[in-house]
Amino acid sequence: MLEIKNLSYRFGEKQVLSDISLDIADGSFYAVMGANGCGKTTLLRCMDNLLEIPSGTVLLNGKDIKNYSNRQRATQIAYVAQRPLYDVDFSAFEIVLMGRNPYQRHLQNESQHDWDIVEQCMKMTNTWHLRLSTLQHMSGGEMQRVMIARALAQQTPVLLLDEPLANLDIAHQFEILGILSKINREQGKTIVLILHDLNMALQYCPKLILIENQSIAYCGDTAEGLTEENISRVFGVQPKIKEIDGKKQVVFS
Amino acid sequence: MKGNALLRHRGIVLVALAIIMVVLMLAVSLVGIVDFSFAQALDNLWQGISGGSTNVIFWNLRLPRIVLCVLIGAVLSVSGATYQAVFRNPLTDPYVLGISSGASLGAAVAILLGFESSFFGVGMLALGTALLTVLLIYKIASIGNRMHTATLLLTGVCFTFLATAIVSFLMVINQDKMDRIIFWTMGSFSAVSWTDVLMLLPVAVLGIAVVLYYAKDLNLLLVGSETAKSLGVDVEKVKKILLLVTTLMVAFAVSACGVVGFVGLVVPHCIRLLAGSDNRLIIPYSIFVGGIFLLLCDTLARTVLMPSEIPVGSVTALVGAPMFIYLLYKSKKRY
Repeated sequence: MLEIKNLSYRFGEKQVLSDISLDIADGSFYAVMGANGCGKTTLLRCMDNLLEIPSGTVLLNGKDIKNYSNRQRATQIAYVAQRPLYDVDFSAFEIVLMGRNPYQRHLQNESQHDWDIVEQCMKMTNTWHLRLSTLQHMSGGEMQRVMIARALAQQTPVLLLDEPLANLDIAHQFEILGILSKINREQGKTIVLILHDLNMALQYCPKLILIENQSIAYCGDTAEGLTEENISRVFGVQPKIKEIDGKKQVVFS
Repeated sequence: MKGNALLRHRGIVLVALAIIMVVLMLAVSLVGIVDFSFAQALDNLWQGISGGSTNVIFWNLRLPRIVLCVLIGAVLSVSGATYQAVFRNPLTDPYVLGISSGASLGAAVAILLGFESSFFGVGMLALGTALLTVLLIYKIASIGNRMHTATLLLTGVCFTFLATAIVSFLMVINQDKMDRIIFWTMGSFSAVSWTDVLMLLPVAVLGIAVVLYYAKDLNLLLVGSETAKSLGVDVEKVKKILLLVTTLMVAFAVSACGVVGFVGLVVPHCIRLLAGSDNRLIIPYSIFVGGIFLLLCDTLARTVLMPSEIPVGSVTALVGAPMFIYLLYKSKKRY
């Protein structure tokens, strides 16, 4: 369980997050949505203690996240950044193998057990055939799947993803969200991801966090939160919510 | 898997490289202004170790030179590989970053202040200026949590010019000590003794051991500081420790033989071409390949124009500068 209490964050003069409080229950699947630059990424980074938290606390299993060592925290939370650094010569297999780092001591090499987990995670994300390629030779979708495989190899109860659908075509968007929602259902992992597509959120993510003016505008069920009123307030656009085949859809006319 | 097979064969490769290095050390000890036969060399080695009477040229001049050469080759290569991972930049090494030149400035100042007789005093001042250089480069070139490539290299070049200019100035106003200072700016093994070897040895062993301990973390740093932290690396701590020990090694190496360029650039890249990007291979292989590389360069430096010597730095630059240009050209695609 991840609890955020009165979290505020500022970059220099600019207030990015103010007084955020959230409870992320075990096994839940959250989409974090909001306009560009509203602090979504900062929130995610604070949840993994990648940024120094200036005021407020983040509690992981009831314990302040600052009191975890980096290694301990890496066995609890996996983080997939928005833009992976692709200018490295490591193969996809080596990259995914890095996900096993929190379980290894210094000078200790990977075991057969680690390799098995890597193989399993790469097969699950449909990247096993890419194991010998380097990131530079991959498309955006392949790269993103490799990064997700690495996060899975960490075998953490919590998974944070910063815009995993960025630069993906529609088929790959479905594929990634399908994989994540399967992991959420079958393994009970808690997933929090940043998303921009309202309909994808409606279809795949049961829970929603809407951010507006550095604070939480809505937190709860996605279907109830994505109202015409909320969307127009947060994004400044005029949508209509329609029911198509019994499912809610956001349309713009 | 490819990477894992390479890792499994690491021990065999290391033993092979060590044997090649020792054989080469023996072989090049035979040639020079005075040639020795293999039997003479072995006899001198045995006498030297057991405390008997030895040939001065072989035991007091040539052998410490060869041993120091191998040590410094190892130190510079390991440091180069470390800087390349910490700064996330394939074009860095102690020379390109201006750290060697920074150290030479400290060494020159130490000589002018009259510390020249104490290797330790020279080493400490060299360390001081080298650390200052690293610190400034790090501060100037990091934008947010990323290293900016162009700024990093330009800062390094500027520091090299600055340090070289100050050293030249110090030489001109202290002409009586000029030849001693020249030695630091161009790199030479012509005046080394066993004392130099004994001074550098503990620093080299300790420093290389620390880098080996963090070799896996270097891999993770290559995929980015934030990712490394999310995968359990104490990024800031590891970077500080590694920059400190490598700079310590470089400063002591420069105190012993002056500024020798490009070794730290060429050696890790040659290894990378053959063994891939895993620093758990690059770092240990760099020890021996670096030693062998500098040993061969110095042998050329002292034998090609006998009886005069070429500065060893110009031999390494002859190999290193084209390599640097090639890498720069190759990496153009990426930046």
